[in-house]
Amino acid sequence: MAISNDKEFKTALAGLSTSQQRQVAASFVQRVFALSGDIRIKAALDAAARADVSDAELTVLSGAANTARVESFTQCGKETDWSAQAGHFVAKAAVACVKAAEAGSNLAWDAAMHARMARTCQTVADGAGTENVEAGEQYRLLEAFLNS
Amino acid sequence: MSASLEKGVRVLKEVIDAPIASYFNSCVHCGLCAEACLFYTETGDPKYTPIHKLEPLRRLYEQEYTLVGRLAKLVGLSKPVTDDELEEWKELVYNSCTLCGRCSVVCPVGNDIVYMVRKFREGMSASGHAPEGIIGAVNRTVTIGSPMGVKLPAVKAQMKHVEEDYGLPIPLDAEGAEYMVMLSSMEIINFPEYLAAIAKIMHQAGKTWTLCSTAFEATNAGMQIGNSDLARVLVTRIVDGAEKLKVKTVISPECGHAYTALRWEGANLIGRPFTFKVQHIIEVLGEFQEQGLLKTEGFETDRLTFHDPCQLARRGGVIKQQRNLMNMVAKNFVEMPDAGFMNWCCGGGGGASAIEEGEELRLEAFKKKKSQLDTVKPDRLVTACANCRIVLEEGLEHYQMDIPVVGLTEMIAEHIPDQTTEKGA
Amino acid sequence: MNDMQFLTWVRGAGLDIAVSIFLLGVLWRLIEIYSLGRKKDLAAPRQVSGASGWHTIFRRSVPPEGMMKKSPVSYIGGYTFHIGLAIVVFLFAPHILLIKNLTGLSWPGLPSQFIDLAAVVTMAAMVIVLADRINKPVKRYLSTFGDWFTWTLTFLPVLTGWMAVQHLLLPYTTMLALHILSVELLLVFLPFTKLFHAFTVFGSRWYNGTVNGHKGVAV
Repeated sequence: MAISNDKEFKTALAGLSTSQQRQVAASFVQRVFALSGDIRIKAALDAAARADVSDAELTVLSGAANTARVESFTQCGKETDWSAQAGHFVAKAAVACVKAAEAGSNLAWDAAMHARMARTCQTVADGAGTENVEAGEQYRLLEAFLNS
Repeated sequence: MSASLEKGVRVLKEVIDAPIASYFNSCVHCGLCAEACLFYTETGDPKYTPIHKLEPLRRLYEQEYTLVGRLAKLVGLSKPVTDDELEEWKELVYNSCTLCGRCSVVCPVGNDIVYMVRKFREGMSASGHAPEGIIGAVNRTVTIGSPMGVKLPAVKAQMKHVEEDYGLPIPLDAEGAEYMVMLSSMEIINFPEYLAAIAKIMHQAGKTWTLCSTAFEATNAGMQIGNSDLARVLVTRIVDGAEKLKVKTVISPECGHAYTALRWEGANLIGRPFTFKVQHIIEVLGEFQEQGLLKTEGFETDRLTFHDPCQLARRGGVIKQQRNLMNMVAKNFVEMPDAGFMNWCCGGGGGASAIEEGEELRLEAFKKKKSQLDTVKPDRLVTACANCRIVLEEGLEHYQMDIPVVGLTEMIAEHIPDQTTEKGA
Repeated sequence: MNDMQFLTWVRGAGLDIAVSIFLLGVLWRLIEIYSLGRKKDLAAPRQVSGASGWHTIFRRSVPPEGMMKKSPVSYIGGYTFHIGLAIVVFLFAPHILLIKNLTGLSWPGLPSQFIDLAAVVTMAAMVIVLADRINKPVKRYLSTFGDWFTWTLTFLPVLTGWMAVQHLLLPYTTMLALHILSVELLLVFLPFTKLFHAFTVFGSRWYNGTVNGHKGVAV
């Protein structure tokens, strides 16, 4: 199936099982991982990409990813480093991939949103304005995942 | 912006007024202010006693404004205020004070100690003794327009992100809108969900609103460092924007000090009353709730508690609204001890969280917040200030407490039924 | 100078000097403090009943939530000796007589045994409060010569007055003279020490209450 807008994107994601959501979410975040480079996030993404990851593993990894997220907040009054802030949103996206699933939550959508914000931070940092094609790339990744 | 001791002393002499004189003459050294200050209660170090943070100002007052003091100075019996002393006091006046105001409400003789600290900072700043972290924020405000270096392109990026991803239009520079929404740097940078929440709420309430391209920044670093000239520049920018767009109300975001700076100090800084209203977003939501313009569905069922930001509740007078809003969307809302008017500070306000060398002290002071949470044992913590959120998360992380922190405006918006138009096609 | 001359002096010239310095001192200090004035608050006020300077003048006498248990000695000791002093000063017959001679005003007093008890309780409370000042880190840290001096200035009149009535230690005439002298010292130094809080507490509470009342917060 072809995905051409966010409504379709969100609905398709919601239809996936939690494990499937984690896997496709991990692929969204992998696209922006270079903006962070934090090994805790890498570990979280690698685990989320596996269909056989256990709950115990997820708990440990989500703790580490959360620490990465909290550590990368920009403090009130500090100079904003948009590149660093991109890393913060990568961490936030990674947390969405591995946190405990709650009924009705669309963790893959959350991860996708945060990944897009990470990309936006990067384009702001580069002075390249606010145009980016992250959403479109995410649609392609989801289509590929659904077709496999 | 050259600083010198002479300049600092001159500034301090100017800020001393009858209230400050009355307060210094009323202090009986009872030490009760210390018992209200989390920096003292969690460290046990008496140097953090609030009234002690003002000792150089007190001496200056005595030497300049009392007969006995002036006579003593004449015969060489008084100790002048020096650069070394002010440098020593930097930690006391900035790192260990968030302008939370608890001291002012417990002093038995009625001293408004936080008012005096705020004024003392004017002298500290003019004499060059403000902390590195805040001086940076001030410089960026002067040169870039935002303490955190957030420029319009960044705001537009966020607007785009919200418009595309959440499907909600964000008006910019819409003249005649009823509300002008301000953002704090913190929200623009860390919490883009806030803008989405605003859009959703305004849409449901049927109210016209807008961002202002020349005045989107609410954070007032001038107020934190104690530089009234700078604080005035920031407020003037907002006033000009609001008057140009002819809005009825300016909304101050989920940031504590921004509200204090605009709502309570703003008019005094520019020397005339505002021609528009100023409300905190929580006040606006409270009003919408009362008027039936806020319709939510569903409830959070986990155990929630609320952290009252100091500048909103005790210092701002907005105490009931957040509780009414919580009860609208939460079935299991429990209050922590000392909640509301007497709540304990998160430990990071007033510029404190921008001071790197103060981090250890802040984390120690956080034990007070920890004890409140240990008593109430919530599943999640709700608050209405972007800086509190981060400070709370950092403290919770440090003490290994697994309590997610949520913003109240976002939580309310999550319970508004989705009526957004389709986007992205 | 013998006992009678001493007593005559403190009752006469001494009292005149002390009361004059006291009255002029109080007047001067009030002007010195309050003539500094304050700027008008131009922010739009928030009207909330019960939040005002006048309310705070009274409400601030009650410990705020959670504070009593932090320092019960400060509150209970403080109330006790302040109320005790008021009882002893204003409800003891000889004092009321003195005030009548000076101003023409008078009112009924309390039985002397009651005043005696009040004096003893006042002194005990003051000793406890002094001990607390020495023992507690914050109070000790804040304390200066002024704190010890003013404690002594306040304690001596109660002690010497009580000793005079009890006919302790020295002949009554001497004890009485010492008592009056100690009161005169208290009067002379009151306007120029922290004891002046007796007058400024009203202004301070009022300013605090007004500023917060403007924001709709009842402090």
